[in-house]
Amino acid sequence: MSHRTPMAGAMAASLVLTFGGVGALAFRPAASSQTVKVITWVNPPAVTILKKINAEFHHKYPNIRVIFQTAANRAGPYATLESTSIRGNTVDIMGTGPIQPLPPHPSVNNESNEQLWATHGLYLRLNNQPWVKQFMPNINRTETYQGKLLGLVTGTYTQGVFYNKVMFAKYHLSVPHTYRAFIALCQNLKRHGVTPLFDGLQNVGPGYLGFIYEPLMQEVWRPHVPGANLNRALSTGQTTWTSPYFIKIMQREKTIMRYLEPNFQGVPWQSMPGDFADGKAAMLLDGSWDLAAVHTANPKMKVGFFPLPGSNQAKYNVPMVGGDLTWVVLAHGPNHAAAFKWLNFFSSPKIYQQYVDYVGITPSRIGGTYHSFAKNVLGKWFGKGVNSAVVFPDLPASGPYWDQSSNWPKLQLDVYLGKYTPKQVAHMYQQNWPQVIR
Amino acid sequence: MVGRAPEEPASGAPAPPSPRRGGARTGVFQGRQRAAMYFSMLPGAAIYLVLGIVPSAATAIISLTNYTGVPGIPANFVGIQNYVQAFTIEWPGVAHSIIDTLMFASAVTVVQNVLALLVAEMLRRRVPGVAFFRALIFLPAVLGVTVIGLLWALIFNPSGGPAANFLRLFHVSTAFFGSNTWALPLVIFVQIWSSLGFTVLVYLSGMNAVPVELFEVAQLDGGSAWNIFRFVTFPMIAPSVTVDVLLAAVGSLNVYDLIYVLTDGLYHTNTLGMFMFNSAFQGSGNLGFGATLSMMLFTITLAVALPLQRYLRKREARIL
Repeated sequence: MSHRTPMAGAMAASLVLTFGGVGALAFRPAASSQTVKVITWVNPPAVTILKKINAEFHHKYPNIRVIFQTAANRAGPYATLESTSIRGNTVDIMGTGPIQPLPPHPSVNNESNEQLWATHGLYLRLNNQPWVKQFMPNINRTETYQGKLLGLVTGTYTQGVFYNKVMFAKYHLSVPHTYRAFIALCQNLKRHGVTPLFDGLQNVGPGYLGFIYEPLMQEVWRPHVPGANLNRALSTGQTTWTSPYFIKIMQREKTIMRYLEPNFQGVPWQSMPGDFADGKAAMLLDGSWDLAAVHTANPKMKVGFFPLPGSNQAKYNVPMVGGDLTWVVLAHGPNHAAAFKWLNFFSSPKIYQQYVDYVGITPSRIGGTYHSFAKNVLGKWFGKGVNSAVVFPDLPASGPYWDQSSNWPKLQLDVYLGKYTPKQVAHMYQQNWPQVIR
Repeated sequence: MVGRAPEEPASGAPAPPSPRRGGARTGVFQGRQRAAMYFSMLPGAAIYLVLGIVPSAATAIISLTNYTGVPGIPANFVGIQNYVQAFTIEWPGVAHSIIDTLMFASAVTVVQNVLALLVAEMLRRRVPGVAFFRALIFLPAVLGVTVIGLLWALIFNPSGGPAANFLRLFHVSTAFFGSNTWALPLVIFVQIWSSLGFTVLVYLSGMNAVPVELFEVAQLDGGSAWNIFRFVTFPMIAPSVTVDVLLAAVGSLNVYDLIYVLTDGLYHTNTLGMFMFNSAFQGSGNLGFGATLSMMLFTITLAVALPLQRYLRKREARIL
């Protein structure tokens, strides 16, 4: 065999591999049916019911297949999935949160990612969709920018303290209405060898301390700022992070954290509902979105609810509510028509009722009758409370390090761990804050 | 031997075909063969250029812009603003990341190599069951990062995981991956566990290449096991040491995937690679700043790897 034969063979193979590979990448088989790709973060009850809804959608529209992708959680991998979906062109419908309130002077420097995408035309305008008038105008406004409705807000969550009614009865405890009473209750439980509070930070980080610091900010600080709108007061410089109210909040937060389960930083957030249902603590700091998971884990469990009482004035202690999962149609998505069909299907009375009853959110659709486990647990607080939009500012994704949304909560944990004092942390937040709000 | 003229056979018969015939400068291939050789290299070179050189150059350029990659948001040239940002308003994060990176990389490089040497020395011996242990040590190397992350997250779950239950016997508890004290050592441990097999493999291949006679002579001279390892094995596997140390150092300086699945960069595990990933893709989606961190990481990697490589190469030349 001559030298040329293997050499020529190698050359041919190289060329085939190179150009053949490129050709294979460029080849697209003709589509025999349509697809609509929907992405959202992992909330087990929502994911379960959405899979069922997707199957029903496919049954109604056999030529449209739903590609459903999830990632856990909003602070981590799902944020990556959102970012890559926005930059690519393969996703039609994306789950986000409501965009309002926007900063007073929205810009790349002070908007959250989702706000940035909304204000730069990456979500389609939905004003003319048939379902719009069936949804509450005040809820729709939380997803409206310059008159353009940019998403379907599926409902409202409530966050606060969920408690084990049997345990409370066993130790003759009653629902606390003030901060002082709440701490006394926690001490009482601890004396009985019961873990008072449960919260898990593993895989989600100190952002889940928001179940403590957000209600405290709402109850202790918000009533004392102009217009009772803490978000606006901070965003316009009418109040600062060095406010004595905020110092008091961090001190109280540190006290409350002492009653969490041991090593709460390492407890996975996904296991919170199951651990609570398993009786590992008397109270769970959480949002109503997890109630369905608690109910699934222990259907016989009797659960009650009260707002975390951060103030010693009971009238200020009301739950926090906020816009839940919000569907947006991506402007660069491949199949707008199918996306509109999916949203229309989702918002139809029967399908939407299934979703609300299973997930346990407060509905945003006008009318209808709902029977969720969450509705029974929340009782008079179902859908009632102070909207988080008037409490905590949407922190920017980049800029001064400690004012970034992903870094801000880390200092709250550091206060608990004794690394910094509340005063030091307040100064660290405030140091470059004027740069954020200018 | 290069350059020395081949010796003529004593019989005066024609010399056998020499690979060096035609002159040392021209090599094996000449003329059209040489052209064909370079032509055959083209696809590989093109792939390296497109997937290696161009992205690297693009990263350097992007670090001078405010590029987000988001359609509709223009990218502007901002000069060294991202670098200024890294050393001013982002400095608390960058400083911690550099410290975390250096601690992680130095611990992984040293412990992984020392452990791998010990394990390789044990597995070198031809004793019953050695093949099983070799396979066992190498097993983690074939597991995906996500599997490894899930596995260790379950083991170190403070709420009922096996490690927590074991520690409870001694009335000790910790948050493991949620602890500011233990998260970094545990991530280092998992990184070593997952990479140990490959490192051992390289050392084993080096040890197997050492002539058996050297060990026999050393034994005949009455050398103890430690002295044989110290004066025979270790010097003779110098090339393996170079490969393993460099791979561990460079790999651990750039790591982000394992940390992403174990701690997401929280609790003092925010290495520069992790910080870069979060800045570019997760948190801010700020590719310009992410590229800046990437350039900083590249500089640190070069500053560590080049002197290390020079030292290890000199050591090889001195020993062998």
